[in-house]
Order: sequence, then structure tokens, then C-alpha cells
Amino acid sequence: MVAAKQLVYFLCHPRELRSVVQWKLYHEPVHKRDPSKETATEKSCFHFLELTSRSFSAVIQELNPELLMPICLFYLVLRGLDTIEDDMTLDIAEKEPLLRQFAEKMEIDGWTFDKNGPNEKDRELLVHFDDIIVELKNTKKEYYDIIRDITVKMGNGMADYALNAEMNANGVNTIEEYELYCHYVAGLVGEGLTRLFVESNLANPQLLVRMDLTESMGQFLQKTNIIRDVHEDYLDKRRFWPKQIWSQYVDKWDDMFLPENREKALNCSSHMVLNALKHADDCIFYMAGIRDQSVFNFVAIPQSMAIATLELCFRNPAIFDSHIKITKGDACHLMSQSTQNLRVVCQVFRRYVRKIAKKNDPRDPNFLAISAQCGKIEQFIETIFPTQDPKKPGVQRQPTVEEPSMDTKEALFLILTILAVLGTVGGLMVGIAYILGAKFGGPQSKPGDLGSSIGSGPTGHEEL
Amino acid sequence: MAPEKKPSLGSVMVIGGCGFLGHHVVRLLLRDWTCSKISVIDVRCTRNRRPDSDGVAYHEADITDVAKVKSIFEKTKPDVVIHTASPAAQSNDKVSHDLFKRVNVDGTAAIVEACQKTGVRALVYTSSASIISDNKSDLINADERWPVIRGADQTEYYSETKAAAEELVLAANRLPESLDFLTCAIRPSGIMGEGDMMLMYHMINIYKQGRTNVQVGNNENLFDFTYVENVAHAHLLAAQALLASSSLSTVPLDTERVDGEAFLITNDSPVYFWDFARAIWNAAGSPMGKDHVWTLPRDLGMVLGLLSEWFFWAIGKPPTFNRQRIVYSCMTRYYDISKAKKRLGYKPLVSLDEGVKRSVKWTLDQQKGEKNQ
Repeated sequence: MVAAKQLVYFLCHPRELRSVVQWKLYHEPVHKRDPSKETATEKSCFHFLELTSRSFSAVIQELNPELLMPICLFYLVLRGLDTIEDDMTLDIAEKEPLLRQFAEKMEIDGWTFDKNGPNEKDRELLVHFDDIIVELKNTKKEYYDIIRDITVKMGNGMADYALNAEMNANGVNTIEEYELYCHYVAGLVGEGLTRLFVESNLANPQLLVRMDLTESMGQFLQKTNIIRDVHEDYLDKRRFWPKQIWSQYVDKWDDMFLPENREKALNCSSHMVLNALKHADDCIFYMAGIRDQSVFNFVAIPQSMAIATLELCFRNPAIFDSHIKITKGDACHLMSQSTQNLRVVCQVFRRYVRKIAKKNDPRDPNFLAISAQCGKIEQFIETIFPTQDPKKPGVQRQPTVEEPSMDTKEALFLILTILAVLGTVGGLMVGIAYILGAKFGGPQSKPGDLGSSIGSGPTGHEEL
Repeated sequence: MAPEKKPSLGSVMVIGGCGFLGHHVVRLLLRDWTCSKISVIDVRCTRNRRPDSDGVAYHEADITDVAKVKSIFEKTKPDVVIHTASPAAQSNDKVSHDLFKRVNVDGTAAIVEACQKTGVRALVYTSSASIISDNKSDLINADERWPVIRGADQTEYYSETKAAAEELVLAANRLPESLDFLTCAIRPSGIMGEGDMMLMYHMINIYKQGRTNVQVGNNENLFDFTYVENVAHAHLLAAQALLASSSLSTVPLDTERVDGEAFLITNDSPVYFWDFARAIWNAAGSPMGKDHVWTLPRDLGMVLGLLSEWFFWAIGKPPTFNRQRIVYSCMTRYYDISKAKKRLGYKPLVSLDEGVKRSVKWTLDQQKGEKNQ
């Protein structure tokens, strides 16, 4: 049934099908893990990676061998933490110390955890966490220290949030709180990754000096998810959109989802999109600091998906009553384009930025600010890849790819045709009227004559 | 916003201080700076005049009259001269060409001469970002390395005269015979704001005539517009930098230099051309989105423009709609202002969004006033 549905879908969307086929057939991973040379615990780690991650599993497995295991383990450790934090069946008295001490637990040989509720989707990972601990012990010290450091910070952050009754009851209030939340769930992961990339010499060490760029990478992804998931979170009785923003549009959070408030909700969502877009130029700058192709793919794919998702959510009322996703074809096309180089990724950003600008509505209170933000991203791309050279001014206007326009000759021809048709028809009408006995213009024509309504004599005007 | 402790500029002379930009320069001088004296020279000193309590000294004079300008300078002894005077670039006939030449070129020459002879230390000249445009090619993130377009390549005579005047001003910087006299030029792009009788009036008229439903081109062209207060602010930052340089015993490094240099100034916020127009129309009260908009391809617009030119030529009137309009509305024209940010410490004081709202409000109030009279 699902397969049949997909078949019909792709038959109706052949371009998407092409993108899927292109990605599946022609994507050549930079590196491929070699399961035949892996130990049992390594295999187990990849098993859990595939089990717990839909979006990251593939890109992680194609990483440079130097970082393959460390990043896989980093992911699994954070997933383990997440599984404890997410589990509402765990008592806070047990949860809090476990989150804070997770970094110590993962140093105990044979440590596992089986007290997760039966419905917790990734509970198996913690039940077999001893395998991950074995591999953590095999990790180079420099990498392990980074993983451990982030685990401590993230565990404490999660514990603080679990205890934060105010936020759990009422959701996020200020933009500052919103960004702090995004920092804990995404910014910290970014920090760990950047340190791993630089430590392994696969990224420019300057990225450690400009940690704000790393922060933007995480903020951009997390904010996009929060915008897209607004309805799902609403059903789960969670709210991450900061009150500081939505209170400018509605009085109560529940009002956002009422059909009669759709316009207000849309304006609020574009405020959220504007807030997320402010990180986009930093993200592009960050990606310019990556030196290894597999790491580039790893960081660029989620970023491209994020800008495409933002465009999908922008002024889209569907986010308030369903869970929307970019289509499979678009996702494959984005993946193909995110696994090449920065120039191509910049083209992806520019394409989606322009799509956002096209959907932008002049009645939206954030209209001009969004236009300016789109302009800022385009301008930033220009600073990296300039189109013009001051030594050769007057560069030809670039042909627009999406919208083939008429050339002057064609347009002139079109206009002449229209004029000719108008002239012929008009002439025919006048001719027929004349044959039927109409008199044109002249002093003798009286009001009411057929002629006076066609002719341009003074009498015709006097009637008006 | 405004600096905590108001920095001092000494005695300041604003040429064209009753004009659109000039009166904002005067306003900022009073608001953000300390001056021992503020003087204004303008052809007509009745409009945009500060109340007497502000202590601004107004002198009515034609700037091409060197003797008159010099005598005013001798009286007011300015340390700083901000030269904003320029005729409106609206018409394109022989009479206005003569006016452009007389005020922009001859007038500026007279002011430079008066400065040199009366011990002025700093001259900031209002140039234009249009002098690096040939009025047909795109300018994509252009900066000060782009060449000034002159002579036959410069199709707008107004820009030609602004470029000639800028050249005069910059050539007068740090001359052997007047080493203490420093100059620089500010090149703003698309000024709008309270007092603007061109850009905003024109845009709002399009709305009032119900012509918001046509868009030429695909609106992917970014354009720089600048709120007038930001332009005025840049002038005063430049004046401050010139005074600081003139008190140094050495010439600043090339990478830090302000004297003898030109600076592009924008709101650092390029937007899509038609978005800017729509923001104005909606601020002016339009309840429309974009559904009613009919998009004409650029080339079709060019043909219509040509037909309109023929038509108006045939009836012997200047065309209200022509190809140059189409070209402008489809042209990408935005600038990289890193140089001003680095060397002048420039940052827009007012955002584009806020600037549009203020400008539209002023224009609407103004038009209401005209009607009531």
C-alpha cells in the first residue's frame, strides 16, 4: 500500500523521482566503513546508530575514518542522555542525578540502564550501553576528553531544565531563554563537533576563535525544528516559541491554533523565521572553515535541509495543524547539492532565500525586515563568491535561470501582433457598422446615432 | 544610539543647511554633537529653518558667488564645512543641466577656494553613489574600488557633475600650500526621509494613482536605500575623523585614512527593489498583498517604455514613463560599505524599516497639509 502510494506520487512528480534516483545511484561516499574489519562492539555501536538516528546515521557512516568512531560515539552518548531526559515515566529524583552524573556512568565498565519506560523508543541503547562504553575506552584521549566535557555540560543543562518547573508549565518566555534552550540542545553539540574537527585537523583552527559561528550552526538547525514542530509540540503540551514573540500577535498560546487567527499566527511564524534567518550568514561562514570533504558533507546536509525547511514553513498555514516535511525528492536533491562544495551550497541558500522573498507578504509586519535579512544573506554570499570584478565593470546582466524572459524582438513582435489584431477587429467593426448604415462624426450626427457612440466627434463627449 | 559624551566639532558650516539632507545635518549637530557655532549657507533660508532658540546662524547666499561665500566664512570662521548643496536631480533638460554644472561644479569649486583662503580644517562633500553607475549595468556589492564612470560612459549628466565636484574636493586634500586642509566625500545611495520631495513623493503617488499592480522584472534585484539621518550621521563622523587626522603630526596609514577618500554610505541593508516599493505602499495604507500584481518581463517593459517615449515625443511632451525607469526598477544596485564601517566607525542609527515608516508618515502629513491649504 505504502509502495503503491509512493509509486503514484513519483509518477506525478517525475523531477523528484529523478532526484531520488540520482542520489541513490550516483552518490559516491568519500569514505565507506568496512564492517568486515570491525569488532563486535563497533558493529553494535553502528547498529544502535542506525536504530536511533534517521537523519544522521548515513552521513556519520561516511565520515573520515579518523572521526568515524568518535562522532558515532558522541552521537550515541548524547542520544543516551536524551533518552533519560525525554522519559516522563522516570521520577525527577532519579532523573536529575543520572543526568548530572552521566559522564561518570559512561566510565564504568559494564554500566547499563534498564529503568526507562517500555515506550521509550531508544531504551535498547541504554540497555546495551556497555558496548558503547567499551568503544569509548578505545577512543583517543583528545577526542574522548571533548566528548566527556560536552556530556557534563549537556547533562547539567538538561537537569536544570528538568527542574525548571516554570518553563515546564508555561514554556519559554524571552528570546534570550529561547536561545539558551537552543544552546543546550544544539549549540553544545556543535561545540563538541567543532572541537573534534579542529583536533583532527579537518577544519580551520580559527573556528575555535569564532565559536559564535558554531553557535549559529546549532541555533539555525534547532530554531528551524522548533518552528516546523510547533503543532506536534502543541499536541504534546510543550511550547518552545518564546512568549516575547508570540504575545505580539495573540493573547493566549492556544489562540495561535484557532482558524480565525490564522493571519496573526502566520505573521508570528514569519517573525520566528526572521529570527532564525539571522544565523544563516554565520552558517555559510562556518562551512567555509571545513577542510575535509566528508566533514563538509556532514555539516552541509543538515544546513541545506534547514534552509529548505524554513522556506517550506514560511507563511505556510499547514504548520499549525499538521506536521510538514520537505519531500523525499527535494531532500535527495539537497543532499546531492550539499555534498559538493561551498559554492554549490551557497547557491542552495540563495535559491531558498529568494523563494522566501517571493512568498513574503507586504501586509506582514516583518515584511521589510525579512526582505532585508534575505538581502543580507545574498550580500554575504557575494562577499565570498563575488560576481563582479571592479577591474571589469559593467558585467553582463546574468541570465535568469528560473524565469526565461522574452527578448526585445519577441516582445516587440507580440505588441505589434496585438496592435494588428486590435486594428483589424476595430476596422471590421467600423466597416460593418458603416455597411449597416451608420454615419460617422460630422455635425449632422445626433445623440443616439450608432455613429456617435463609435466615432470620436464632440457630440459623443458631451453626453458624458 | 547617540554617543554618551557629545564629541566636539568646533565651528561648523553647513552649506545647503535648509535642504533635504542639510537640515538633518543641522538637526544631528544639535542633538548628538558639541559645536562652538553652527552656521548655514543656503540660497533660500526660509524652509527647514531651526527655531531661533537653537542659535543657528543662517546666511542667504548663492554658492557660486565666491566673494560672498568667502566673506561669510571670514565672519563665521568655520573649522568644519559640510557641503550638501545640490539641485534636485529630477529633470534632464538644458536648463537643469546648466544648473547642475553651475551649482555642483562651479559652486563646489567656489567653496573649496573659500575654505582654502579662510583656514577651514575639514571639508566633507556630499557626493553620490550613482557616480560609479553607468545607469544600465548592475552593481553587485560594489565598493570604492569600482571606477567612477565619467564622460561618454556616464549617461546621467547629474552624476557627471557630482563626480567632477568630488574630484575637485578630493584633489584639494592636503595640498602643499594648505597642508592643514583635509577633505573627503560621502557617496550615499538612494536617500529618503523627512523632507524628501522626490523618492517618497513619487512612490506614494504611484500608490495614490492605483498603479501598485504592475511589477517589471522578477524582483530579484537588490537595491540600497538610505535613511537620511544615517547619511547625515556619516557626514559628521567623517568630519570628526578629518579633524582628528589634521591634528596628527603624521599622515595616517593608507588602510586607516579618511582624508582624500570617498565613502559609500547605505543603510547596510539592501532589499529587493519592489519590496521597498511595497513597504512604502503598505505603510501609506495599501491593504494589498501581492496576489493582484501583474509581473511584466523586463524586455516587455522596455518595449512599452519605448512606445511611451515615442508617444510622448509625438505629442511633444516629456514622457512620464520611459525605458530608464524600467532599467532602474530591474537593476541590481547595492554596495559594500565595509570601508565606512572600518574607517569612520559608521553604523546606521535607524533601521531601513523604521526609516521607511518615518518617511512615509512625513510625506502623508505633508500632502494632507497641501490639500488643506
